[in-house]
Amino acid sequence: MPPKAQFIREDGLYHSFCGLVSVGWLYQKIKDSFFLILGTHTCAHLLQNTLGVMIFARPRFAVSLLEEADLSSAQPDISGQIAEIKREHNPSVIFLLSSCTPEVMKVEFEGLAHTLSTPELPVLFVPASGLDFTFAQSEDSVLQALLPFCPVAPPEDKRVVFLGSVNDAVAEDFAMEAARLGIPVAGFLPASHFSELPPIGPGTIIAPLQPFLPKVASQLRNDRDCTILSSLFPFGPDGCRAFWEDLAAEFGIKVDLAEREAAAWERITSHTELLRGKKVFFASDTLMELPLARFLRACGAEIVECSTPAINRRFHSRELERLEGVPLVEQANFDRQLRDIATYQPDLIISNMITTNPLVGKGLVAKWGTEFAFMPIHGWAGVNILATTFTKALRRHAILDPLGSDPVWTMGLMPSAPGDVIPLQEL
Amino acid sequence: MRLAYWMYEGTAHHGVGRVMNSMRNVHAVFHAPQGDDYVTTIFTMLERTPSFPAMTTSVVSGTDLARGTIRLPETLRQVEEKLHPELIVIAASCSTILLQENLEVTAASAHLNADVLVYDANPYRMQENGAAEGLFSDLVRRYATPQPLTERPSVNIIGPTSLGFHVRHDLTSIRRMLNTLGVQVNVVAPWGASVDDLRRLPAAWLNIAPYRELGAAAADYLEEQFGTPALREAPIGVQPTLRWLNALVDTLNEIGARRNGPVIRMPPLTAFSLDGMSAPSAVPWFARTADMDSYSGKSAFIFGDATHTVGMTKFLHDELGMPIVGAGTYLLREAGWVREQLQGYVTDEQFLATDEFQVTAARIAELRPELICGTQMERHTARKHELNCMVIAPPTHIENHLLSYRPFLGFDGADVIADEVYTTCTLGMEKHLIDLFGDAGLEEQEAGVREQEAGVREQEVESREQEAGVRGQEAGVREPSVVASIPTSVPGAPIWSPEAEAMLKKIPFFVRGKARGNVEKYARERGIAVITADVLLTAKESIGA
Repeated sequence: MPPKAQFIREDGLYHSFCGLVSVGWLYQKIKDSFFLILGTHTCAHLLQNTLGVMIFARPRFAVSLLEEADLSSAQPDISGQIAEIKREHNPSVIFLLSSCTPEVMKVEFEGLAHTLSTPELPVLFVPASGLDFTFAQSEDSVLQALLPFCPVAPPEDKRVVFLGSVNDAVAEDFAMEAARLGIPVAGFLPASHFSELPPIGPGTIIAPLQPFLPKVASQLRNDRDCTILSSLFPFGPDGCRAFWEDLAAEFGIKVDLAEREAAAWERITSHTELLRGKKVFFASDTLMELPLARFLRACGAEIVECSTPAINRRFHSRELERLEGVPLVEQANFDRQLRDIATYQPDLIISNMITTNPLVGKGLVAKWGTEFAFMPIHGWAGVNILATTFTKALRRHAILDPLGSDPVWTMGLMPSAPGDVIPLQEL
Repeated sequence: MRLAYWMYEGTAHHGVGRVMNSMRNVHAVFHAPQGDDYVTTIFTMLERTPSFPAMTTSVVSGTDLARGTIRLPETLRQVEEKLHPELIVIAASCSTILLQENLEVTAASAHLNADVLVYDANPYRMQENGAAEGLFSDLVRRYATPQPLTERPSVNIIGPTSLGFHVRHDLTSIRRMLNTLGVQVNVVAPWGASVDDLRRLPAAWLNIAPYRELGAAAADYLEEQFGTPALREAPIGVQPTLRWLNALVDTLNEIGARRNGPVIRMPPLTAFSLDGMSAPSAVPWFARTADMDSYSGKSAFIFGDATHTVGMTKFLHDELGMPIVGAGTYLLREAGWVREQLQGYVTDEQFLATDEFQVTAARIAELRPELICGTQMERHTARKHELNCMVIAPPTHIENHLLSYRPFLGFDGADVIADEVYTTCTLGMEKHLIDLFGDAGLEEQEAGVREQEAGVREQEVESREQEAGVRGQEAGVREPSVVASIPTSVPGAPIWSPEAEAMLKKIPFFVRGKARGNVEKYARERGIAVITADVLLTAKESIGA
């Protein structure tokens, strides 16, 4: 056993979103699905604002709205809304997501989903409430709900199933790369359609593509007795090499990808040169922070701090090994982070949608960590995009810098900030 | 319970945040689960705030509930230690309110130096505007202090609030006009106000409270308690602005006469223009030009909050001469007032009060107006139906938070609105040419523009693809399930024969959707199931489509 990785758990006073936001990509990934949130006006307002006001023509997600009169009933009746969804969207599966209010009301979701479920249209319970789940964590819940619908593969079926939602183009890259190495592929969890779920059994090797899925990984191990690949996540040249070599080894195939890795590093030299020696602070909430920090460290950057909402010793073990010596924080206290940021003056902060503009306002270079969740940064094909996403902000701010430091340029923008009121006479 | 896709108003929680993020040296603490912190994003992203909004979520987790931990006192202490606000407003969320905790007692256990207000906003009874209005009124009641009036004529501007629609620009427009008159601003609130500013509110001679949604109740209180008169109209359009200025001058002079104060005179109107020597607004002349005559007759549909719906409807009708085919509001508690204001502009049948966007979308699909003034949701509906839309009220998109000076109020606002109307609609002469000679190659050009735009944003691509899909389905044979899934489509729509479909394609694309709808209506009314070329021709004759 390697030495136990050291990390600190703080009090979680950070800025983030609840698990409902993962609906934003999952409904697009699983094309015949519908995501129904049992929640309140707050949930609807969240989705509207984080998923962009009215950009979706016909979203396959909605809120079953709890109003005041509904608060007293122990088990809300949503059969009418299920019928409406069936009539208007005709999905193959409905995911029923929990939220804070019904959790506090102690709605018995398993039972509710069970009574609404029919063989033709399963209704699957997905724990996602902001009381317990943050950002991408609810994808873990969605995949757990899907697991019973994956056919059971016989023990002699020795193939790989890639775990975690990636867009179809990235999925294709992974299937082709596997074929090139002689690795047989059973499919992806999640698949693009509910009917295409891959068979999983004792011979299956599960290859996690996303770092926020420890629970479904452990459930796969327990329920299907399959093997979970323990490797780096396939981000960056170092991650991709380890991922594919380790995966091939599970199939008794020995490959050496040293040259391929070197070539990939070579292609992003202009980026690594810029990143070398730079102080980077991770204060984001996408749960992709560990592998991203590991890649940046391999680029030569100094990781001042890497904080993330959750760290799993087993699921993240290989990433944690590579991050030895880096200050790791789970559920950080944002106020403490601000003080440390002021002390260390990092060259780049990976923050989130909530905190980035105010950090930039303090004269720092900060960027949305969320961008990494929505960019095709996986695999060999993603290496350049991954590196560029980090360096773009640095390069852009270097061009803009001469203007940036004078507070006059943000005067009047924010009513609560000091110095906002422009006296009448000066108008 | 109902199925909700999108909401017009934000939550009570968001309303509290808007007031607190407007004020100086105050702070909101939300006793809420992590997820409720999303409200902070709306400020940092839409208003692109260069500093942290004055709000903190004191996180309540599932583990806390299981263990009976309450972090609120510790959060309050952290906030006080770091920011030293004068006032901390505490609010529960839609979930924590069900816990029935006594937050007064909990907050008291933190032993703060700051003033603490536990704002009892029931999120199941109040939404964004109600909560913001309620909190702001409570603060005014709490702090406004009796005192003598200012020496010189002065006004308060009440109502501008963080994330209000174009409020920063409106504020500038109002200040410009007051400056021209030589009237001092005593306090602006809540925008930029401190607790001390609230104390000073009663020193003003008059309150300007142009927004029906926020500030009206505080103006009522100040009138009852301190006798401060209020100017409650929103000066949207040239004539309303002139009336507003005259009322302002008259009221201040009445008060001045009692106090032997200075007399305010209306300066020549050119004094209100940007350069001080031109017409204060170009709208009156613009509306009379041949350009606008050729443009006239375009039908408009207006839907939004109370203030902007009323102001825009009157402006379009009275100052641009546009026929109004419908108007309404999503603010149900203001529906009575809006209805009353729009007597003579729309009939009862043309008036719409709903907070379900699908209902508004269906009305738009039915009317196919040439101009829609709405929220971001109507903009989307309009795009789906290839109609023209300008956004006049929240909810907004980041696209509505532009950099240049774009007020809606005052003379400056009249010009901004008229320009927006003009560039949103298909122009008059252009439309005649298209009607007469076909699309003049615009259709292909349009497709090209779309491809370019599509590259801009992934989500847009997604939305366009979906829209394209919807259009494709409409053009092809209609499956009942598909038709039923589009809330705005009419059930039992007749089928088009290939020849009729081909003929329809020859109708200019600008008006094709309308023609399709009219012909289908014609067919339905006569029980015709299949629209053949013959039916189309007869229908065109009959309805002039």
